[in-house]
Amino acid sequence: MNQLLLIPIVAFAKLLTLALRMSGRGSGTALPGYLVGRYFPFVLEALVSQVPIVVAITGTNGKTTSQTMLSAVLDQMPEARVLRNKAGANLSQGILSELLKQSNALGRLDFTHAVLEIEEATLPRIATLLKPTIIAVTNLYRDQLDAYGEIDRTEKLIRDGIAQCPSAAVVVNGDDPRTSRLTQGLGNATYYVSLAPEYARYLPYEGQVNSRIPGSEGLEATNICINPDLTTDFSVQGLIRGETVHLPQAKTLSPGFFHVYNGLTAIAIAYLLGMDGATAIAGLQTFKPAFGRGEILTRRQGDRLVNYRLLLVKNPASFSLSLELLRNIPALKLILAINDNTADSKDVSWLWDSELERLNPADIDWIICTGIRAKDMAVRLKYALDAPPGPIPTVESIRQAIDLSFEKASPGDTVFVLPTYTAMLEFRKLMGKTLDIV
Amino acid sequence: MPPSLTITHLYPDHLNLYGDTGNLIVLRRRCQWMGIDCIVKVLSMGEVAQAGQSDLYFMGGGQDTDQVAVVADFHQLKYDAIRADTEAGVPFLGVCGGYQLMGHTFLMGNGEETRGLGIINVSTRAPGTEVKQRCIGNLIAEINPTTYADMQTMYATPREIPRTLVGFENHSGQTYLGEGVEPLAKTIAGFGNNAAAAYEGARYKNVFGSYMHGSLLPKNPHFADYLIGLALRRQQPDATLPALADTEELAAHSYAVQRYSQK
Ligand SMILES: [Zn+2]
Repeated sequence: MNQLLLIPIVAFAKLLTLALRMSGRGSGTALPGYLVGRYFPFVLEALVSQVPIVVAITGTNGKTTSQTMLSAVLDQMPEARVLRNKAGANLSQGILSELLKQSNALGRLDFTHAVLEIEEATLPRIATLLKPTIIAVTNLYRDQLDAYGEIDRTEKLIRDGIAQCPSAAVVVNGDDPRTSRLTQGLGNATYYVSLAPEYARYLPYEGQVNSRIPGSEGLEATNICINPDLTTDFSVQGLIRGETVHLPQAKTLSPGFFHVYNGLTAIAIAYLLGMDGATAIAGLQTFKPAFGRGEILTRRQGDRLVNYRLLLVKNPASFSLSLELLRNIPALKLILAINDNTADSKDVSWLWDSELERLNPADIDWIICTGIRAKDMAVRLKYALDAPPGPIPTVESIRQAIDLSFEKASPGDTVFVLPTYTAMLEFRKLMGKTLDIV
Repeated sequence: MPPSLTITHLYPDHLNLYGDTGNLIVLRRRCQWMGIDCIVKVLSMGEVAQAGQSDLYFMGGGQDTDQVAVVADFHQLKYDAIRADTEAGVPFLGVCGGYQLMGHTFLMGNGEETRGLGIINVSTRAPGTEVKQRCIGNLIAEINPTTYADMQTMYATPREIPRTLVGFENHSGQTYLGEGVEPLAKTIAGFGNNAAAAYEGARYKNVFGSYMHGSLLPKNPHFADYLIGLALRRQQPDATLPALADTEELAAHSYAVQRYSQK
């Protein structure tokens, strides 16, 4: 590939991005990638091959979190310059747009590592171009609306992607039967991340948990403790490339079992890239939860201050696990914000697959249901709770729900908010951008 | 002794799409609130069904491969017993894929029509030219007048119950009712059985099928009560049900009727 050819193409893409931005057509991220990818298909490979180490992260849930955690970990190395694609820009044209944007005018990418989030079906299409050093697969959940076995197809696509990269090391979720069998029959070195067996009951995986191969290498989390401030402490043990790993005090500032998996994935990759454990867990602690994933918003009125902690719910698995986190919160104050716009799922049946029953042992102070489908949420709660904490206010308007919660809360309280995607966007907008992350 | 019902949940490990278990959660809780002992038994692959052991059957929808596997198992180990029960008037509810599965033929994702369980005279076919995509969206339908009149007799004291059923549909197959089968309801918004006739669901004796998946019973408590009532009346012909308050359920029901009644 002629490096000189790259210069006019990159210049064109950069000019186009600039023109789109000046004409007010958004940030213009997708179009340059689309055009360049369509007419100059070699550019993706020409750009990414300049980065010595490429890590590809795919899976149903937790791609962005794993990517962000790994970037935080790699940033601990003084010489590291980590390139990452923006959350959601994970199709081939989105990735290409990001690479074009981050390259200099001569088409040079001056980075030591690329940590790329890749959409599941995109992996096999660009795997040979990316030539990843490491492929990580977070998990493979079946969507509750998956009538036609799409997940089987997705599993096959990821497997095809891995098969195209025989020299890549693969890090998979060892508790998810679908990911732990991905490299069976392939020659890839495989590392399994898993939680100690006693946490298995919290996990919404289909089929046999702990189906990883005995004697295999990987990391396991034990002593998992989700703290009332929703940080999570855990210990890590295992074996990576013959090296024993023992890290008694790992921590993430984000809550829950999912984040432990994501953290383990980041630590395992750090080891594979030659980092030491102490540096890796120090990096992990600099990870800040992305919006909707444990982010805290604050509302002030005079000297009254109430915190709102957002935990996005997007499917039964994430809803059930978020509820699991709230079981140990004293005097729990909770807002459930359910919309049925396209981005949330127009069908609210999934509320019945979400285990609201997990709230039964919780110490509930009050709950407010809000959003377009507040009433559906209230019905679900009514059937889930053995002893409801009095009548449950149901207000469709999220603005009114915030006002009501602010009245009900005492200064300094933290209110937990479990919103669907568009309810979360609305909630953040209504709260302004008073953002501080603990 | 309090009345007691045994509900048989068919193939929950294979047929569990779209929040179908919500229907069981609702039947269980309502029985509890009404002082009825309720036992939910699971009848899975490889298990033999026995007639006279169930007061109510429920079956949800699943993925193609699972539905095909279920058909073979059903004909081998369950058909005779369950057919005997439903002919004798035991209520049976099949939802969404479960509804299609109950008929003579149902439709797979690849467009192939396959043999079904054959416990109700309906058949589901590939969409012709009348529908372009899957039938997806909120579904509102007015209950068949005969069924509605019968529903009203279930309570110890007369009460207002909605004339409508509300839910969400998501299917490509078009279901046609055969002889002896009545529609469950007349469509107000959404498609229901098929795009040609504006009807939703089916009833034969006390066998019911509906395209309203997941939240069929939660937002239609009158229909949940009707199933419970029909089951109890087989034990005690003059059985009636206490009226539960249903404030939240009916609020969600009428909200759905208001918001989604326009096509
Ligand atoms: Zn359905």
